[in-house]
Amino acid sequence: MIEVKDLTKRYAGRTAVDAISFAVEKGEVVGFLGPNGAGKSTTIRMLTCFLSASEGTAKVAGYDIYDDSIKVRQHIGYMPENVPLYPDMRVSEYLNFRARIKGLRYREAKRAVSEVMDICSLAEVERKMITTLSKGYKQRVGLADALVNEPDLLIFDEPTNGLDPNQIRQARELIKRLGDRHTILISTHILSEVEVTCGRVVIIDQGKIKASDSPQNLIRHLRKPSEILLEMSGDAESAEKELLKLDGVNHVRRLDDRAKWTSFSITTDPNVDVREDVAALIRGENWKIRELASRAASLEDAFVDLVQEKRGETEERKVRGQ
Amino acid sequence: MRAFFIIFLKELRAFFLSPLAWTVMALFTFLNAWLFASMINAMQMRVSSRSLIYNFFDSGWFWMGFFILFPLITMRLFAEEKKMGTIEGLLTAPVRTSEVLLGKYFAAVVVFLVIVAPMYFFFPLFQAVTGEKAAFHGGAMLGAGLGIALVGIFNVAIGTLASALTSNQLIAAMLTFVFAMLHYFLGFLHNFGVVPGSVWTGGMTYFSTTEHMHALTSGLIDSGPVIYYASFSILLLAITYHVLESRKWRV
Repeated sequence: MIEVKDLTKRYAGRTAVDAISFAVEKGEVVGFLGPNGAGKSTTIRMLTCFLSASEGTAKVAGYDIYDDSIKVRQHIGYMPENVPLYPDMRVSEYLNFRARIKGLRYREAKRAVSEVMDICSLAEVERKMITTLSKGYKQRVGLADALVNEPDLLIFDEPTNGLDPNQIRQARELIKRLGDRHTILISTHILSEVEVTCGRVVIIDQGKIKASDSPQNLIRHLRKPSEILLEMSGDAESAEKELLKLDGVNHVRRLDDRAKWTSFSITTDPNVDVREDVAALIRGENWKIRELASRAASLEDAFVDLVQEKRGETEERKVRGQ
Repeated sequence: MRAFFIIFLKELRAFFLSPLAWTVMALFTFLNAWLFASMINAMQMRVSSRSLIYNFFDSGWFWMGFFILFPLITMRLFAEEKKMGTIEGLLTAPVRTSEVLLGKYFAAVVVFLVIVAPMYFFFPLFQAVTGEKAAFHGGAMLGAGLGIALVGIFNVAIGTLASALTSNQLIAAMLTFVFAMLHYFLGFLHNFGVVPGSVWTGGMTYFSTTEHMHALTSGLIDSGPVIYYASFSILLLAITYHVLESRKWRV
């Protein structure tokens, strides 16, 4: 559905997108992931023919973004970042305008608008001015707009930006449902979103593609030490020493002492699970155990790992903060 | 063509469903009615060799009010879309930039014509009420109408360009006002010609809105102003087109 080859966008003294290549197959739901300023929006704007590439080519639905720009745009339903809408139009009026401008005839537009209002649950605000809508509703109007001409490919630029947790959940559900029938490219910097909705992730940083794989694979290939959490009661001092002696354990850190309970964080070699050994050790010493858990590596770890390779500490914290 | 009409109609709706167009229309009509009445009073007191219609459009007061119209009509065309970001949705829809541009431009031209229309009817109305048959002739009416329309399409094109240049409506309005005014005053430069009838004077007369209107309001329809305003409007629209497209490759 999308074929990107050596796509490059240069601004004065800065390369926003640096010769990236990737492909999205029909039916896939792909997360386009990267920190702010990584080149996500620029790439999407080139795909939607809002900006021209400095070099390289891309094809959407088989049409070249430069030579067949109108055809490309006919196949894309695009929701730009922050969902810009005309505030002084009514919801149905706006969607009708968008349907018509995307080439639907009067009757088709009418039918399509009532259909997408159904999908996005907009019936109750049909006659309201867009300016009076809540952020969540505006987002849904944007989604309905993207869907209205039944495009093959949906492109969402940060679709859950600025929504409250409840609305984020609703938006995700909706996107997930749409994934059954459409090819979707979602740009985001919210990692949990990708883990939930996307079958594949393309990670971009500083204009370059860092990884392209399923979230599960990315986590699996994570070359990061595993961490185990332990909460126990007993002789904390000797426990710390004994734990360090276990095979594969690199580091033991005491987190806090609360009454007679002590928490440890145990760092081991990658892909080594020492939980059974820990349990056996504690049983042997007749200590008590209240928690023993391995902290699962998340996509966030994979992301931070890939994106932070060459960056300083301060920037790492910034990205973690998001 | 289809997208052109959809955008044209949407823009017209936006104009006439907002109070701005109506307020401007009421104020403009009121000011010109006042000017019209003063003009008749003045002509009653002092015999003029010119017709009412000639004197009306020769008055600097008329043009002052007239040029304030253009920024008000055109400032939001593109600046507002850029500010709100809706330009991205608009231009990523399967429409040609030229269709968007012309749709917006002609909507603004129609708004302009609707706003000035009441003023145009002062003259036949005055004639009907007073029975002053000799106040002016039909040719002068036609010429004046054509002149106003020509100056209109030209200045709306200036405003459209100004609006495409910035995302700030106030800046767009200022640019339009300044350029419309500059062009108008350019038409007075020929008065400073050293030798009357020299190439300099003749050349500058070609740009003079007042000179154009003198001829047109005498009922003399010259192809000169028609070609002048039409070709400059097309040039301005072509520049606007490239300004809009420049977002694609600007670094």
